[in-house]
Amino acid sequence: MSVGLLVDVTRCTGCERCVDACVQQNRLDPAKADQDRATLPDGLSANRLTTVQPLGSDHFAKKACMHCLEPSCVSACLVGGLTKRSDGAVVYDPDKCIGCRYCMLACPFEIPRYQWDRTVPFMAKCELCEEKTAEGGEPACVEACEEGVLKWGQRDDLLAEARRRLQNYPNLYVQRIWGEHEFGGTSVLYISDVDLEELGWPASETESIPHMTEPVLMATPAIGGSVLAGVAGVNWIIRRRMKLRGEESHAEGGEQ
Amino acid sequence: MNPTDRTRRVKDILWALAFPGAVAMVFRFAFGLGATTNLTDGVPWGLWKIFNMVAGAALATSGFTVGFLGHVLHLKRFRPLVKPAIVVAFLGYGSSLFALLFDIGLPWRFWHPFVYWNHHSFLFEVFWCVSFYFLITFLELSPTLLERLGLEKLRGTLHKAGGVFVIIGITLSSLHHTSLGSLFLVTPQRLHELWFSPIVSLLFIVSAIGGGMMVLLLAKVLYARWYDPDKLFYPRTASGELCETCVNPDENGKGLPEPPHRPQIRALATASAMVLGVYFLLKLGDLLLRPDAWSALLAGTWESWLYGVELLLGVALPVVLVSIKRVRYSTGGLTTAAVFAAGGLALNRMNVGIFGYFRGAEEVYFPSGLEWAITVGVLAMAGLAWFFLVENFTVFDERWKVRASASPRLLSSFDRLTYLWNHRLLNGMERITLIGLVVVPVAWILLYSPYYRDKGEEVFPPLARDVERDTLLLDGNRFNMATTFAHAAHQQRLGGRESCSECHHLTLPADQATPCNQCHTRMEGRTAIFDHARHAEHVARDKRLTGLVPANLSCTECHGEDAAKARSTAKGCLKCHEEDMHPVDPPAARLALEQASGYRSAMHGTCIPCHKQKAVEVDNPHLGDCATCHPGRTAPGEDLVRAVVVNSEDLAAVH
Repeated sequence: MSVGLLVDVTRCTGCERCVDACVQQNRLDPAKADQDRATLPDGLSANRLTTVQPLGSDHFAKKACMHCLEPSCVSACLVGGLTKRSDGAVVYDPDKCIGCRYCMLACPFEIPRYQWDRTVPFMAKCELCEEKTAEGGEPACVEACEEGVLKWGQRDDLLAEARRRLQNYPNLYVQRIWGEHEFGGTSVLYISDVDLEELGWPASETESIPHMTEPVLMATPAIGGSVLAGVAGVNWIIRRRMKLRGEESHAEGGEQ
Repeated sequence: MNPTDRTRRVKDILWALAFPGAVAMVFRFAFGLGATTNLTDGVPWGLWKIFNMVAGAALATSGFTVGFLGHVLHLKRFRPLVKPAIVVAFLGYGSSLFALLFDIGLPWRFWHPFVYWNHHSFLFEVFWCVSFYFLITFLELSPTLLERLGLEKLRGTLHKAGGVFVIIGITLSSLHHTSLGSLFLVTPQRLHELWFSPIVSLLFIVSAIGGGMMVLLLAKVLYARWYDPDKLFYPRTASGELCETCVNPDENGKGLPEPPHRPQIRALATASAMVLGVYFLLKLGDLLLRPDAWSALLAGTWESWLYGVELLLGVALPVVLVSIKRVRYSTGGLTTAAVFAAGGLALNRMNVGIFGYFRGAEEVYFPSGLEWAITVGVLAMAGLAWFFLVENFTVFDERWKVRASASPRLLSSFDRLTYLWNHRLLNGMERITLIGLVVVPVAWILLYSPYYRDKGEEVFPPLARDVERDTLLLDGNRFNMATTFAHAAHQQRLGGRESCSECHHLTLPADQATPCNQCHTRMEGRTAIFDHARHAEHVARDKRLTGLVPANLSCTECHGEDAAKARSTAKGCLKCHEEDMHPVDPPAARLALEQASGYRSAMHGTCIPCHKQKAVEVDNPHLGDCATCHPGRTAPGEDLVRAVVVNSEDLAAVH
């Protein structure tokens, strides 16, 4: 079973209470979060793990880690510092991290952010408030939202709820659940009355990135093995031919 | 000029570049990545990773390609080039890995991938192959080093194992060069389609094989230029003049006068050109089979120009040059082809790793001075190490034996550092000290400034549309979330020129037209504006208090006689400032005077209460709605009127 979050863009007023709650819950510096809101293009940073992004004229969408079902960052991290937890959250282990920032490059939603302002920096992203959910609670952002934008639950239940809303208000909603199939599916789902392409998220791809890269990666032993065998074989044949022709091998004798 | 004179100037320049690098390395560790680089969340990989590591590894491939030609295919012509190639590979990979230590956020954990495994990661594969290949290059190099040290037995053992090292090295190299390309397969939606290719791994290894041999060619030419011009440039007669008639016919007996080592570099250039030719065809096929790439190339953006430069000047031109016979039989021509090929290879890696990401990130990354200093400094250090190796070991020739017999110490000719110990105050060391004394402080001053870069939020005064302040555009942080404010109309309705204090609270003493952003310096957060020291001094001066530090006696003027001296026991601002300050909202004045609220709440706090009041007075209930100032619309099925975010560029177009 996998938990998830349903975001109903039609209900969001852009008050950013969820952001304040997130900053408080994750013990981030509110002053730095304020500053990043004003200076960064999308308001997302290591001091501000979620943000509310204005969409065009008068719509807003909460943006944070999508907790993909097949996360690209998890497959990219060379030390296995990112893992998909059994409940569905993608979590970060700072003790393993070496700071290579490949996860930031690998994430299709550009979610992992780096603590650029620190001398000893780590990556930071939403981890779905493990402290609260372990005791059966809801993440801080869900608790803080007074407009009913965010709904917390099992992903399957949320999908059913989203379908129910799309069915009940066919004129209001765009008939699409963002995150159902995008990049292999995500734990965070969006429904909206405007096109969410404006969020700047690449929503047209339905294949997960690990699914695309895995075949290439799996070819590695074959490439290595065939190169090794090929080179060794060629070397052996040529040396044998030289021996038969009576030329002493150069490799033993020296370079000149 | 003897070789020492020719190389001395080059080495001095390298030292002058290496010193700022060392300074920058200190800054990098003292202040962290964010303070020293221009990297952002949008462009997290920059110069050190892409230029030093990805391009650096690609330029150092001659170690395994020439090893393959010389030791596996047993082509005699490439034999003398194997040792120089190993040196290039060792220094190339060594300097790349060294630069990488500054790039990763937690460098002291560089060994983590050996312990924590994630075999699903391309980077994991790259890390293992690159680090083991670096070890292999060291093992391949070690017989050369041991020869000088006189450890013949160990040298013999390692030399015998040489063939195995070559084969392992080839395997590791073919793995990590393909994987370096695969690294970028994870970013289909961010990398520009010109460079995001499904066969990027193949393109990476083929181009690296082709370009890498050209780098070795350059190393050979430079060595000959500085130490042994007769080998590659025309032999000279005893009197030192060019000997045009010294004919060394090439193998085909064409009779062109040839310096003795030119066939070596011609063979290198020909092999490289053949590989680059294949690469060019692969690139063309890749371009033509992907319609999105083809249309992106025809779009005429700066990316398509970069792609064109990379492909035409960096790949096609060297291939064409080498295919011309006159060029093939000219050292200068071959060098030119090699420069273009090596440059094209480096540009390709920069395109794939840096420039290709600008469009997706919607920002442009230009490396900071510190990034340049470390990149150039590491390369300069590698250059100095190259001089050390070729001068003291059997790399290109056995010239060192002459010097070694004259002066048996290993480091006797390595630069001025040891020169000083051996020959006190010889001008070489004086010069290097001088370089250090001049360059290090200058580098310190120049490189330190990025640390002061103000990344803080700034709020600006309103943009006035005209000098009469008729209409103002309120967009404090220039974030394009703005509203227009009809300043003149409001002023007129409220009573003309005398009405400023209706809105402007004039909290500062003798305030006339202090801009809002002087105190409301931040968009969201509060700013502390109470200046305690200034108040204490002012009170002391006002009351004519005496003593060593008069200000220290002024406490009781504001704080009570017995109470603890804290904010809660101080008297309110308006107790003294009733005359010269006109706060809008007196009941809350205490906090308001000590702390300026965020710019946005200051603006909302000024407009909304008044609007709500007027809504009742003039019986227009919508006057207090968000939409009055932020033109909006009613959402379907809801009564809520939402505030709209106005793009200031749109506003400019309307007016």
